[in-house]
Amino acid sequence: MLVKRLQPMVSHARRSYVGLMFQVMGRALQAISEVDETTRNETRALPVGFLFEMQVMPNGPKLIVEHTGDGLLHYHRDGAPRPVDLSIQFKHMTHAFLVLSFQEKTSVAFANDRMLVDGDVSLAVRMTRVLNRLESFILPKLVAERAVKEYPANLHLPEKLLSAARIYLKVATNFVETVRA
Amino acid sequence: MTNNYYEFFCPVKVIAGKAALEHIPYELTGLAAKRPMIVTDKGVRAAGLLDPVIAACEESGLEIVAIYDDVPPDSSTTVVRDIAKVYRKEKCDSIIAVGGGSAIDTGKAVNILVSEGGDDIAKYSGAGILKHPLKPFFVVPTTAGTGSEVTSVAIITDEKKGVKLPFTSSFLLPNAAIIDPRMTLTLPPHITAATAMDAMTHATEAFTCMAKNPLSDAYATAAVKKVSQSLLQVMDNPKDEHGRLELAQASTMAGIAFSNSMVGLVHSLGHATGAICHLPHGLCMSLYLPYVLEFNLESIREPLGELLLYLEGPEVFSATPASRRAEASISSIRKLRDALYKRCQLPRTLKETGKVLESQLEAIAEMALDDGSIMFNPREVSLDDALSVLRRAWA
Repeated sequence: MLVKRLQPMVSHARRSYVGLMFQVMGRALQAISEVDETTRNETRALPVGFLFEMQVMPNGPKLIVEHTGDGLLHYHRDGAPRPVDLSIQFKHMTHAFLVLSFQEKTSVAFANDRMLVDGDVSLAVRMTRVLNRLESFILPKLVAERAVKEYPANLHLPEKLLSAARIYLKVATNFVETVRA
Repeated sequence: MTNNYYEFFCPVKVIAGKAALEHIPYELTGLAAKRPMIVTDKGVRAAGLLDPVIAACEESGLEIVAIYDDVPPDSSTTVVRDIAKVYRKEKCDSIIAVGGGSAIDTGKAVNILVSEGGDDIAKYSGAGILKHPLKPFFVVPTTAGTGSEVTSVAIITDEKKGVKLPFTSSFLLPNAAIIDPRMTLTLPPHITAATAMDAMTHATEAFTCMAKNPLSDAYATAAVKKVSQSLLQVMDNPKDEHGRLELAQASTMAGIAFSNSMVGLVHSLGHATGAICHLPHGLCMSLYLPYVLEFNLESIREPLGELLLYLEGPEVFSATPASRRAEASISSIRKLRDALYKRCQLPRTLKETGKVLESQLEAIAEMALDDGSIMFNPREVSLDDALSVLRRAWA
């Protein structure tokens, strides 16, 4: 009985958590493209104006970033200005929660058919590498190891701390700007 | 609580064994199809492989209304449109694809056009676009390796744009796959070897990659066992009908396994090498398999060790210490490749192919990193990792 009563609250909490995580990740993707050359080397291969979306099906929370050129990504907080070029879609809110709460690695979620790719698969592979690099930077190593297939052996603490601080600072600034706007 | 989860799907009726072709008329009638069209290539027709298919239908009073026998090795949107025109003109109501991967993929794409309408196959490209079942579609494979008869994917080249269009939908799966040993009896030795190693790679990667599951495991291990037991016998005695059937079944089983568990780095490198150096897919699979298994070894030690039972049999398996079984599995695959090299010079290294330049390795590695199958490789692969595997495979 209690479980039944709590269910809507749990669902609401999950939805809010996933929505918040997408907002953080969207801003963090923009930030990492500004501070990390390796990420820019990956994103430079995307066409300029390329729109990438992660969404929970059918109309759940989403994040959208655009490649604005030279590997730089821009987070679109108000939705896509035009149809997206590549969409990675979680089939259900529960699946998104499993991944974004680091209970299931992104690669495992793909293997488990939790997500669909709509668009060029090779670019989806590239964006997955960017997401993995982001998670390796901004999450504590113990948590990151639960999120990515393999924690990068060449990512050492000083580089990680410095990059993470710069990314978090940019994310916080972006949030403040959003509130002010 | 476990987070384990998997999906498994294969609705294809498999009709396999002696006189399997003679079941086609009955199976077509069961789907209310009376005017089938055959889609094939010139090689299949020249080898006389259409004759038993046509005879099987005619003996049951079923007329093959149209035959298109000009499918190229890399089928294109134009070919698909042309075949659809013939299908409509002749008022056909079903398709029988007879051939290897290209004829089968073409049959799948034609089925989209004639079922959904229109002349532009490109607009159906992508995943999940199709929403309805298509026309009755049968596949008669003439090679034992691709497993295309049980996969829900087709690749067609868009000549104008110069890109390969992928089509993915469970509706692309044929209603039936007809596995008849007569269809592979005349395969030349090097194609027999390369396609069987393609099936071996499908099964091995299916058994060791991230999306492996209990059902795909069952198909994968059975396929590995059949290839291990029959390939060299068939190479020594090409007219061995039993061995040919075993390889054909192994190919289908491996196809069912990998289409439900996906594949990994062997395929990523193979796809890139095929695109850049134009090497046949099966050859690439055979070439890269041991090197990729060595690269993945510490992530797949347990399942790879289990494969030794199916590669070498219970005696060798039980005589090998558990800690050495994974390495023994790789050795077994290397031994098989050596035996094939001795019999038909199936290349074991990139240098032996004579078609790859050392200067192309970097381009192959870069392209492989963006291949979809790399997502399911058990180990993360960097550019340096891919290059080191390629250098080991070089010579």
